[in-house]
Amino acid sequence: MSKPVITAFDWVPWFARGLVRDLRVRWALEEVGQDYDVRYLPQGSQKALPHRALQPFGQVPTYERAGLTLFESGAIVQHIAETHDGLMPAEAGGRARAIEWMYAALNTVEPPIMDYAIATLFEAEEPWSAPRLPSIMARIAERLDELARRLGESEWLDGSFSAGDLLMIAVLRQLKGTPLSTAHDNLAGYVARGEARPAFQRALAAQLAAFTGSPPSGYEFLDKPPQDQGERQ
Amino acid sequence: MTRPLITAYNWAPDEGRGLVRDMRVRWALEEVGQPYGVRHLNWGEQKEPAHRARNPFGQVPAYEEDGLVLFESGAIVLHIAEKGPGLFPEDEAGRARAIEWMFAALNTVEPVVWDLVMAKVIEGDKDWAKARLPGVETRLRERLDELSARLGGAEWLDGGFSAGDLLMVQVLRNLSRSGIMDAYPNLTLYVARGEARLAFTRALDALRAGLTGKPPAGWPR
Repeated sequence: MSKPVITAFDWVPWFARGLVRDLRVRWALEEVGQDYDVRYLPQGSQKALPHRALQPFGQVPTYERAGLTLFESGAIVQHIAETHDGLMPAEAGGRARAIEWMYAALNTVEPPIMDYAIATLFEAEEPWSAPRLPSIMARIAERLDELARRLGESEWLDGSFSAGDLLMIAVLRQLKGTPLSTAHDNLAGYVARGEARPAFQRALAAQLAAFTGSPPSGYEFLDKPPQDQGERQ
Repeated sequence: MTRPLITAYNWAPDEGRGLVRDMRVRWALEEVGQPYGVRHLNWGEQKEPAHRARNPFGQVPAYEEDGLVLFESGAIVLHIAEKGPGLFPEDEAGRARAIEWMFAALNTVEPVVWDLVMAKVIEGDKDWAKARLPGVETRLRERLDELSARLGGAEWLDGGFSAGDLLMVQVLRNLSRSGIMDAYPNLTLYVARGEARLAFTRALDALRAGLTGKPPAGWPR
């Protein structure tokens, strides 16, 4: 069968590099040893045809293979896990629990983390962001406490590494550089174990190497962190 | 197989509108014709160790069946859909696209819907709440514009009714009192079609019949 083709951006703001959601799909493909091709989109073209026809919400990634087109990184990771060995246990109960952790990552843990990104990056200058931040941090901290308690001293969330761990680690990585990322030693170790996997390393390197495009006009200031531009914090 | 057992609250702050997440699981069970039992929790009991063992995040629903314990309504709906028939198409590609819409409902649309609920209900009394609301509504409308454009004049998101529609309709039902859906006649009809399904009605009736508990002390806040 032909190689799958995914979509990714050729440029994103500095703070999104290594976090864009095609990373989740690249990582899954690397874990199962499936070669893939990438179609790169210039920033902005994701909101127009022809990409909109593949992805109604104008986002990356998409996945195309043998006439099947999918969007939503969670669904793509699940599809890869179901059509290859290595990301889901063969036994029905273990498989259901791996899927449970996929949904826990994307529907329970990620939403307050998205909120944090809005408050600290996209709306950082808005007057409501500073007063809202403590409650957002508290909501994330509650989820992290619960997750840390469940993980305990285990290596992965349920037996062997699965698609559930892959998505959970991808979600938790978004907290890097914040005090929340170091609040629990066992979660920090869990994320580090995920990032140490050769498949993750290859996926990350591939995403980072592809940011060869230019920022859209007016967004040049997001090409580098403020401190690298010689500005005062 | 023994009857699965789900957990639900015996009281919830949504006034029996069926917005608590056990509704998704009840609806899915009704769609596939699977009888089930319910373990009812008093409000607050979801954070106790006995329930935390079933759901580490202290939420409902949990699902128990022949020694398998699951949490996360999306994962439970998927598990039920696989017992089918009724919630997944037969062909592999159609099934993958139904799963795509499940994730779209829960990871793309629900966060912006929940953000509006938070902004209006939970943070509504803050002095900055009003200033923040337009941005929240803009993000939500962008997603609804996109969803409405994709649905067009179709009955369901991809062919026949699927687990993806079930979750999307349940997510959109959170907006029914906001007025924001008025700008989207096709989405309003889509939600109404979901709510008109017999399985939905049976699930909502069962959910309401289980609301025999009392609100916690101090309610309404």
